[in-house]
Parts: sequence; C-alpha cells; structure tokens
Amino acid sequence: MRALAILPALALLAACDSAPGVSFADASITLPDDPVDLPEGPGREEVLANCTACHSPSTMLQQPKVPREKWEGIAKKMIETYKAPVDETTIPRIVDYMVFVQEQGEAAQ
Amino acid sequence: MSEGKLTRRTLIAGAGVTALAAPVLAQQAGRLIDLGLPGGPSLRPLEPVFPGKGEMIVHRVRPPVLETPMSAFREGVITPNDRMFVRWNWPFPTEIKANEHRVAVGGAVKRAASLTLDEVAAAGEHVSVVAVNQCAGNGRGLSQPRVTGGQWGNGAMGCAKWTGVRVRDVLAKAGGTAPWAKRVRFAGLDVPLTDGAPQFIKSLPMDMAMRDDVLVAWAMNDEPLPILHGFPLRIVVPGWFSTYWVKMLATIEVIDDEEDPSHYMADTYRFPAAPVQPGDKGFPTVPITTMPPRSFITSHADGDTVALGKPLVLEGIAFGGDAALDRVDLVGMGWEIPCTLAPDDLGPYAFRRWWVELPQVAGDFEQVGVRARNVNGAVQPETFVWNPSGYARNVIERITLRAQ
Ligand code: HEC
Repeated sequence: MRALAILPALALLAACDSAPGVSFADASITLPDDPVDLPEGPGREEVLANCTACHSPSTMLQQPKVPREKWEGIAKKMIETYKAPVDETTIPRIVDYMVFVQEQGEAAQ
Repeated sequence: MSEGKLTRRTLIAGAGVTALAAPVLAQQAGRLIDLGLPGGPSLRPLEPVFPGKGEMIVHRVRPPVLETPMSAFREGVITPNDRMFVRWNWPFPTEIKANEHRVAVGGAVKRAASLTLDEVAAAGEHVSVVAVNQCAGNGRGLSQPRVTGGQWGNGAMGCAKWTGVRVRDVLAKAGGTAPWAKRVRFAGLDVPLTDGAPQFIKSLPMDMAMRDDVLVAWAMNDEPLPILHGFPLRIVVPGWFSTYWVKMLATIEVIDDEEDPSHYMADTYRFPAAPVQPGDKGFPTVPITTMPPRSFITSHADGDTVALGKPLVLEGIAFGGDAALDRVDLVGMGWEIPCTLAPDDLGPYAFRRWWVELPQVAGDFEQVGVRARNVNGAVQPETFVWNPSGYARNVIERITLRAQ
C-alpha cells in the first residue's frame, strides 16, 4: 500500500533531460503604504515611538487579550531578541496602552 | 551601526511621520472579513491590495502578512500565485537585479562558490514538484486557549507547482560537502533592521537537503517567483512547513553542527517534545519540521443552510502532510462516512479534492467535519493538541449546517 502510494511521487518529479532555458528578468514591487493605525489611548505616543519601526501596529492590535505580564514579556522579547531600541522607561506606558486597547476592544465586541 | 539600520533617532523620526498620517487613514473604512477567532479580535481588512495579489486577508502591511481566504480553495487544488499566502518576518528588498544576484555556497564544502542565477539554473536537471506550502503557525488564531504570535485563520497554506534544481546539485557546484557536514543552512535577502538581531536562517539535516525533491526553485506555477514569494529563488521542501522554504535565497552554508544554534532553529519554531498543558514551563522542545495531514470542507462554511429532504454533496480539499493522503472521512458526532478522493495526479504533497454525496438531508448537521489520514497512518485528532506557540494545528475542523 505504502510503496504504491509513493510511486506517483517519482513520476511527478518531472525532470526534463534537455532542460528548457530559464531566463531571469529583474523584479521590483511597490508595497502599499502602511496606515500605522493606533486607536487613541494613554501611552499611544510611546507605542508609536517604540513599537512601529519594525512592524505595523496590527502586529500588536491583532493579539488575543493577554494579561499585563504577557505584554511586559513581549516588550522584553522585542528588546532582548530583536534588539528593539526601546526606551525602557516607557515600558509601563506601552503596557498600559496595550492593556487599555484590549479592554476597549473587548467592550466593543 | 551600519547604514539603513535602525537607531532610536531614525525610529522616532519615522514614527513621527506616520503618526501624522494615522488619523486621516484611520477613517478609511475597508472591507472586512471575520476569521471567527475565539474571543477576538477577529475582523481583518481585505485591503490594501498588494501588487500581483488578488483578494487577500491583510493581517499586516509591513512586513507583509497576507492570508488566503478559505473561499479561494474552492476554485481548485492549485493555488494561483495571486492567492498564495505571504509571510515575512523582516523587511526585504523591493527591487532585485537578476544579473547582480548571487548565491554564496560555503561552509563545509570543497570550494566555496558564488553563483549567478544562470549558474544555479545550470547546476542540474530542472525538476518540478507540486507541493503544499503551509506556515507552521497556520490556524494559530483558532487555538484555545489563545496564544500570541501571528493570528492566522486556516488560510496560511496553498499548493503550487514549484520548479528549480535540486539543492544537492547546487552543493555539487561547490565541489560537494565535507564528510563531517551535518546540516545545510539557508538565508535570504530579508535582514533585520537592528544590529545583533537574528537573521531568518533555517537549516535542514543533510539527508533532507540531499533529497530528490528538495529544490532551489525559481518558478511557481510556471511563472517566475513573485517578489512577495521570494524572487529570485526559494527553497522548496515538500512535506515540511514553509519556515524551511527560505525566500530570496542568497546564502547556502554547510555546517557541522548536529543541532543548529541559530535563533530561528534553536529558540523559536519549536514544538513540545511531548504534549503540554497551558501554563507548563521548561519542557523539552524539538524543531517543527514535517506537516501532519489536514482536510477542509470548502463547499460550505459554518452556519450555511442546506436543503432539507434533498441530497447533499459536500466537497473540499485535503493533504497528507509529509506522506501521501490515504483517506478522508466525513465525521459527525458519533458517525462517519468515507469520502471519495479525486485521482492522485499531482503527487503525494499536493492538495487533493474529496467529495461525498449524502442521499438525503434529514436535519441539521451539528459539528460536522472531515478527517484525513496519510499513508503513514497519521490521522487528524478529534481534540485539539494545544501548544504554546500554536504550531502545526491539525485538529478536525468542524462546521454546523442548518437544514431548511
Ligand atoms: C527591532 C524591530 C522590532 C521592534 C522595534 C519591535 N518589534 Fe515586535 N516583533 C519584531 C519581530 C522580528 C517579530 C516577530 C516576527 C514577526 O512577527 O513577523 C515581532 C513580533 C511582535 C509581536 C507578535 C507576537 C510575538 O510574540 O511574536 C508583537 C505582539 C510585538 N512584536 C509587539 C511589539 C511591541 C509592543 C513593541 C514595542 C515595545 C515591538 N514589538 C517593537 C520586531 C520588532
């Protein structure tokens, strides 16, 4: 059974002996603008300044509701692992904002 | 700090500009899709449209994270290039000159080489394989309890025909590997914005790298790889999660480590070695590698109505993961019916259509789903196997249909 099922795999690896030429052309793309939407709230400026350089705010805003400690952990991971140049004194404000935004979001649902 | 890297000053300057733009743009109401993520937030925009892409779920503009709407999988078992999901961790060049691109092959090889695209294409016979490309975190947003990370629905997958040369033929261009070679590492042109941050580097054990169907690919569905999918070259590893399918390939390095210490192998994209409970800490983990089987109903969505007393045809897609699909069953609460599989003409790593005809709808279908099994005997589990990073979801996906 198993051997049989694997046979088509080999057939499928269609290899052509006289390989048709491949030609490579240049490529470019214009990526759409990033709106950087962050709802109003206490600490918004700190989040804009520290957390939107590497990724759109949707990275934060789409997270499921998690406790403060988890947001502290995420901020720490950004600094330690991804070398995010975050002003560490702003972390409590950043965490306040994320907790606030998530509570607002929950209330709106 | 080198040019183009991030400093606190450039960071704040950049953020200042975008802060001004934000209030205006925030008012643009776009079309939204509900991914049904438990507890939310669950709505995602279908905009902006990216060049070369059709309708996609826009999780993130920068770096792009785009999900394929499930409705696209109704259209066929090949996912067109404009509907394939997109996922980048770090920024990447938006312009690439073909004649300037090089692939450096080094490490434990006989003689390090720097190959042009033409040299890569001439490295061996041209091989095509049809294979599912699926993010290790596909379906993470459906985890319960929820976990942080990219909040995908189930559309971080797609199936395409990939064409290129074998990785092993490219290694041969560097005179082959040393006897002590253990793994082959791949890195692309996507690099961190900050000094000291980890580059997205992945590695395959030697036996995988030397496989007949592990490719350095330049074509996707007979078209040049679009930039969003890794132009000019990407690695293709049929049966393994797409974290290994490194895009914009620029470096191949043969290493002698049994275990790769680099960040994206050693610290993340890892799965508990044995099942864990939410809250568990300090358990051993293994790198996420092969895909388990999965299947989906595509003909109907959760909450759809079906005609009472009439026959009903349910259809969908399935794949076996790292081995060919063996069977698909429609499963209800306490009953199951085998489904018919379309001929296996695209090979063991492709999506395959299944369907089942029910003679008469006698009432609502509560929590009906499909269960795939592969030829190795791996079968989709009844209950969700939670893990803290939400990897490798393959629980039976269930929907409810109302009879009317
Ligand atoms: C130096 C770049 C950088 C900066 C600055 C940065 N991040 Fe990240 N962030 C990353 C990378 C890289 C990832 C993981 C890859 C991905 O999501 O594509 C990530 C992922 C995330 C995620 C997804 C969940 C997870 O754990 O992976 C969240 C949430 C997040 N960042 C929040 C933040 C917050 C809050 C800040 C500000 C304190 C911040 N980031 C600043 C680079 C950065």
